[in-house]
Amino acid sequence: MHCSQTTRRYGVSFIKTLIAFGAIALAGVAGVAHAQWKPTKTVDVIVHTGPGGGNDLLARAVAQMLEKEKLLPVRMQVLNKTGGNGAVAAAAVAERKGDPHTLGFITSVWIANPLTTSEAAVTLRDLTPVARLLLEPAVFAVRADSPFKTLKDFIDAAKAKPGELKQSGGSVTSRDNIIRQTLQQHTGTKWAFVSFQGGGERLAALLGGHVDMMVIEPQEAGEQVRAGKLRVLAQIAETPLPGYPNVPTLKQAGFDVVATPQIRAVMAPPGIPKEALLYWEDLFAKLGQTASWKKYVADNQLEDSYANGAQLGKAIDQIEKDMRVQFQQAGMKLAR
Amino acid sequence: MSSFTRKSDFWAGLALAALGTYIVSKALGWTYMSEEGPGAGFFPLWYGTAMVVISLLLVLGAVLKHDPAAQVKQIQWGELRRAMTCWVALAACVAALKYVGFIVAFALLTWFIIAVMFHRPAIKALMFSVGGALGFYLIFNWALDLQLPTGSWLN
Amino acid sequence: MDVFNGLMQGFAVALTPMNLALCLAGCFLGTVVGVLPGLGPPATIAMLLPLTFKMDPTGAMIMLAGIYYGAKYGGSTTSILLNVPGESASVVTCLDGYQMARKGRAGAALGMSAIASFIAGTFGVVALMVIAPPLAKLTLAFSSPEYFALMVLGLAMVVLLAGDSLTKALLAMMLGLWIASMGTDLFSATSRFTFGQIELLGGIDFVIVAIGIFAVGEVMANMEPEKPLDMLPVPKGLKNLMPTWQDMKDCRFAFVNGSVLGFLIGILPGAGSTISSFLCYGIEKAVSKHPEKFGTGVIEGVAAPEGANNAETAGALVPLLTLGIPGSGTTAILLAALVLWGFKPGPLFIQDSPALFWGLVASMYIGNLVLLILNLPLVALFAQLLKMPGYLMYPLILGVSIVGVYTANSSLFQLGLMVGFGLLGYLMRKLDFPTAPLILGLVLGDSMEKALRQSLMMSQGDLSILFRPIPAALLLIAAFLLIVPLVKQFNSVRVQVIDKEA
Repeated sequence: MHCSQTTRRYGVSFIKTLIAFGAIALAGVAGVAHAQWKPTKTVDVIVHTGPGGGNDLLARAVAQMLEKEKLLPVRMQVLNKTGGNGAVAAAAVAERKGDPHTLGFITSVWIANPLTTSEAAVTLRDLTPVARLLLEPAVFAVRADSPFKTLKDFIDAAKAKPGELKQSGGSVTSRDNIIRQTLQQHTGTKWAFVSFQGGGERLAALLGGHVDMMVIEPQEAGEQVRAGKLRVLAQIAETPLPGYPNVPTLKQAGFDVVATPQIRAVMAPPGIPKEALLYWEDLFAKLGQTASWKKYVADNQLEDSYANGAQLGKAIDQIEKDMRVQFQQAGMKLAR
Repeated sequence: MSSFTRKSDFWAGLALAALGTYIVSKALGWTYMSEEGPGAGFFPLWYGTAMVVISLLLVLGAVLKHDPAAQVKQIQWGELRRAMTCWVALAACVAALKYVGFIVAFALLTWFIIAVMFHRPAIKALMFSVGGALGFYLIFNWALDLQLPTGSWLN
Repeated sequence: MDVFNGLMQGFAVALTPMNLALCLAGCFLGTVVGVLPGLGPPATIAMLLPLTFKMDPTGAMIMLAGIYYGAKYGGSTTSILLNVPGESASVVTCLDGYQMARKGRAGAALGMSAIASFIAGTFGVVALMVIAPPLAKLTLAFSSPEYFALMVLGLAMVVLLAGDSLTKALLAMMLGLWIASMGTDLFSATSRFTFGQIELLGGIDFVIVAIGIFAVGEVMANMEPEKPLDMLPVPKGLKNLMPTWQDMKDCRFAFVNGSVLGFLIGILPGAGSTISSFLCYGIEKAVSKHPEKFGTGVIEGVAAPEGANNAETAGALVPLLTLGIPGSGTTAILLAALVLWGFKPGPLFIQDSPALFWGLVASMYIGNLVLLILNLPLVALFAQLLKMPGYLMYPLILGVSIVGVYTANSSLFQLGLMVGFGLLGYLMRKLDFPTAPLILGLVLGDSMEKALRQSLMMSQGDLSILFRPIPAALLLIAAFLLIVPLVKQFNSVRVQVIDKEA
């Protein structure tokens, strides 16, 4: 056998020294490489919306901020891979296995989509979590002239007339519907959900009196509230929003439910080198400290919520678990 | 029998009736109506059924129409072949985009159309095909910064 | 604020050298964007957004708006010359515009398109200026039942676009409905007709179908003869390149039709510019003295939809600026831009930022004029393009189609779809199936289904929601449009029968 021949030739102690030397050398190299990975060519950021869509704007804003704060030595460009509610973008990121110069900006849609759509084969478990950036809060809004002054009023009315009140929102897998399912179960009520493709249509339906309530981003609601057209009943946020000091959170309003969060996070293709992952985690942590980031978050009424790759992975698993429960209770057939 | 099987309406109608049946069969597998309103199967069921009915009307019309004065349209095989050749060339060009990129694939297509389909002199064909492909490249890739396909074989 | 004062203030803002330059830049860029298929205003505006951060917001908005309505001017160019729709709303222009080009009247078509766009665009700006806030109420009154009725009215146009065979037109329309339902269902998250392909989950983009059927199909059909067809006749002399006074007279109604209808449909967030073009075209055909000539190259068939899609851009700004509700992809990005610059589009927008609003309105007047002056000479230039021999023209069309589809989404799969639809377009031509109803079904099918299901969800299954005042009125008009031609046909049959018996 090889082993015994070599040992006999050179002696055990020599082998041991060789191994020890090798281990130290490797550790040294790894340590050096660990500190030294830097991107060397243009970084592609893949988003699932078209130009001007939510994640597209975020990616462009981030690219701009990184340039302004001189945090990234190379250019960052946005690739729009629309289609399939994010499935095409997810597949595009997964395809670039091992490429540390590719990132994907995700939202909770990337978690929900594979659960309900069998064609969406790439789940977030197939990608590398890098960092969570933001949480998207939301508020419950009704028309200013509606009889509901608190969320409890709405729920009570729904209890009295099950199925008659209407909420406008996005697709059945969106956060609007998930929070509806959660509340319905928690309070034992039912109200209808009307899906509209675009945010503008949902708002128009509410303002025009065709539906009774909607869950809306704080920023969109802001102007309507200021103009006296909408009233905000409650907010879905971890920390109360600065723009809505008098509006109770769900818990404060008396509904102790866990609202599945809407996250905005960064993922990378599978199999990227550890040094690259650490670089990206570090970069986004640094970004979160900058003044331009803080201004962006405040202007858009978002919630800053940095978490590194491992924590993000856990958060994603939790969200997926919640979604499974909600979708099943909503009567949807799960694909996986 | 042969008088109407040669009519294109007959076959078109049958094909569409088949498509309609497929649509209906799929639609029956989805929810027609739930308590939240019409389901995914509602609309396809209706237009699928309508498609079947109307395409059968078309078939019937083709069978019953007695028009001895009008000649049954002869299929011009030569013309059909030329159009289909063009289509196959286009399909080949699009399929090749992944491997040889836009410039090469499009130049080949242009050359094919000019030289082979329209029998123009080879030099002219070459000139226009290379010029055309480069022209597109200049306008879109270079001036407008829009990515055109680049082939994997050439990268 | 008093309209006159506001407008004066607006002109003061719009006529500053910087803003004027930005207006020109936007209009020019918009025309280029419109001419190139596949590249649309949303993508262009999104790409330019970072540049605008360094600019004064009013100037930036003027430029972006210039791109928006400028694109509508340019969109008709490739539709008329190459049968390739430059923009989704330009599909309808292909119907008669391309036929006019084949008859040697490309110049007149291009020129009329610019003129109709100018008239409708100006009308739209005036309407925006004068009646924007009251119109906001109308915007909100329209919800799913009303949209459903509007879509039904649109589909009733099929009868008008049917030509000889109503059965074939209906079948083509249903084919369009089928293609429209491919993808993930919004309401139940089930995938319909996706054949296991990820790329089909989002449905098939209308532009791919239109370019495939119209452009590729046409090229294939033209390949048939051994010798290429004679070059398309291009009349000599500038006079023959422009629409004649007779043309202008013929289009009198089309100008009004396009302007008013286009604007009204534009203010509805849920209805797009394609719908307004189709409806205007349909109504133009319905009231015409020679409806059977539509589709063979009548100039009103170009003036009406072109006017409609320009008035529509002004109309779409109404919900954006008075309510903060975007109606389309482009207006959504404009909204995002306004928010980025720190403005707050909403009910208080006009009050809070009169300088921006009136400056924008004034620059739209100027922009429309600039575009007219820009486009008319270009007509002569573009018409020369038609002197190209067939063997050069067809590869050009194919090249433009490929690039147009690819630059939209960088998807080779979609290119494959385009090739497939090209074959479909060719087959439809050979089998005498009209293609316009397919496009109509595709555009309207999705919206109509959503509107119907939303309506029934709102009323909990009660169909009477569809008979509220506005939808009832629209459905009545649709029924009327459907019945009148049938009655005419019935009458003519009756006359024939009576003649035979006599």
